[in-house]
Amino acid sequence: MVRCSRFGPFMGMFMGMTLMAAVWGGSAWADESEAAWDSIRPDVAGQRAIEDGAAMIDLVAPKRAEDAAFVPVDIRIHMPDGDARTVRAIKLVIDENPAPLAATFQFGEDGRRSFELSTRVRVNSYSYVRVIGEMSDGALYMVKSYVKAAGGCSAPATKDPAEAKANLGEMRFRAFADTGRNEAQVQIRHPNYSGLQLAQITRFYTPAWFVQDLAVKQGERLLFRMEGGISISQDPTFRFSYRPNGEPVSVEARDTEGKTFRRSFPGGQGS
Amino acid sequence: MRARRAFAAAWLGLAALAPLGSRAQEPPEPSGYRTDRYRSPTPATLNGATVLPVGEAEALWKAGTAVFIDVLPRPPKPAQLPPGTPWRDSPRHSVPGALWLPNVGFGEISPETESYFRRGLEAATKGDLGKPIVLFCQRECWMSWNAAKRALAFGYRRVFWFPDGSDGWSEAGLPLERVEPYAEPKE
Repeated sequence: MVRCSRFGPFMGMFMGMTLMAAVWGGSAWADESEAAWDSIRPDVAGQRAIEDGAAMIDLVAPKRAEDAAFVPVDIRIHMPDGDARTVRAIKLVIDENPAPLAATFQFGEDGRRSFELSTRVRVNSYSYVRVIGEMSDGALYMVKSYVKAAGGCSAPATKDPAEAKANLGEMRFRAFADTGRNEAQVQIRHPNYSGLQLAQITRFYTPAWFVQDLAVKQGERLLFRMEGGISISQDPTFRFSYRPNGEPVSVEARDTEGKTFRRSFPGGQGS
Repeated sequence: MRARRAFAAAWLGLAALAPLGSRAQEPPEPSGYRTDRYRSPTPATLNGATVLPVGEAEALWKAGTAVFIDVLPRPPKPAQLPPGTPWRDSPRHSVPGALWLPNVGFGEISPETESYFRRGLEAATKGDLGKPIVLFCQRECWMSWNAAKRALAFGYRRVFWFPDGSDGWSEAGLPLERVEPYAEPKE
């Protein structure tokens, strides 16, 4: 059973926010601290200056996540008129996860002025989630959102190892042209073991094993490339801005064991 | 409607006044170890162990007669991470002088983790099964309940379970200090 086919990232986000509102109201419960970020910042951004990114990046994540192993995050790039730069890459950071850099997404030489990207991540304890956008001129801009979720990195896999291996690397692509949204979704079946999950029978940690690199192209054009870590949820799934133009969509992935997975899909006709 | 709400308020008020151990949110003791949902309400008791409120934990700590064992879990860094992956272990602030034995409070533990727990307790008590030991992690954390139960199974005769853990300790205005694990559990 694949959870994301029942609850897409957007639905999950909606449900999470609804639950939060019902249960917690507006009370301040969490210890929202910058201490973790201060200690990981050099690894993520070195000594470079980071500006407030609210004018060009939105990050939507549930205040309280329904399932810490599948927390939907929705990133929107919207460069303001009058700012000619593009976003070349974004880093997704989860402060309190033991491997805080969840993923880096690259958009190639042309960058993006307007782009949406959603995925699902593991959140190990109450944490800021951050998106740091790198502009075409090298400047960095950041937005953040606090997520209350715990245990996402160590939550047991929802499939047993045999089941996970049977479907390993299977890919799906779906364009949502018919819904009026210019979006598509890519999913690759992979257990994406975090290395922090205890196996039920042996009681040892299941070794980390995850999709390290994934590139999605439309014809020859790179839509996005992801370098991912242990914080990306089982069966990595990405929903992104997409306009069909008749060219095929190809997905190529490589995991930490060096296994590669490739598939090409009809990309749908442009209107 | 108003009457019903008043009734509910009265009922809640009575529940709050009820003696420890009969409150609805405290589950009964399971027969074995707790194996899931470790962060949830814990029982009021642990058969064979003494439950320590924070004031009594403080008294034991000040008397210096007991050893404090912190069992908050912490995952080891996976060996398979690509080189250069940023990694950050969450810092742990614990009862000063406590020995931190992470991961020994899971419901089921590997033989290696079990022997790590045994070795750690032996080191802390200098092999004296009659030495008072205080097991804790955080509030509403079954890891300390499991670990205290396990210490009883090892043969320790004076096991104290401190359910409020580092949360209750710090709320009582008592000092915490940064600790590191006693040693990394073997793979």
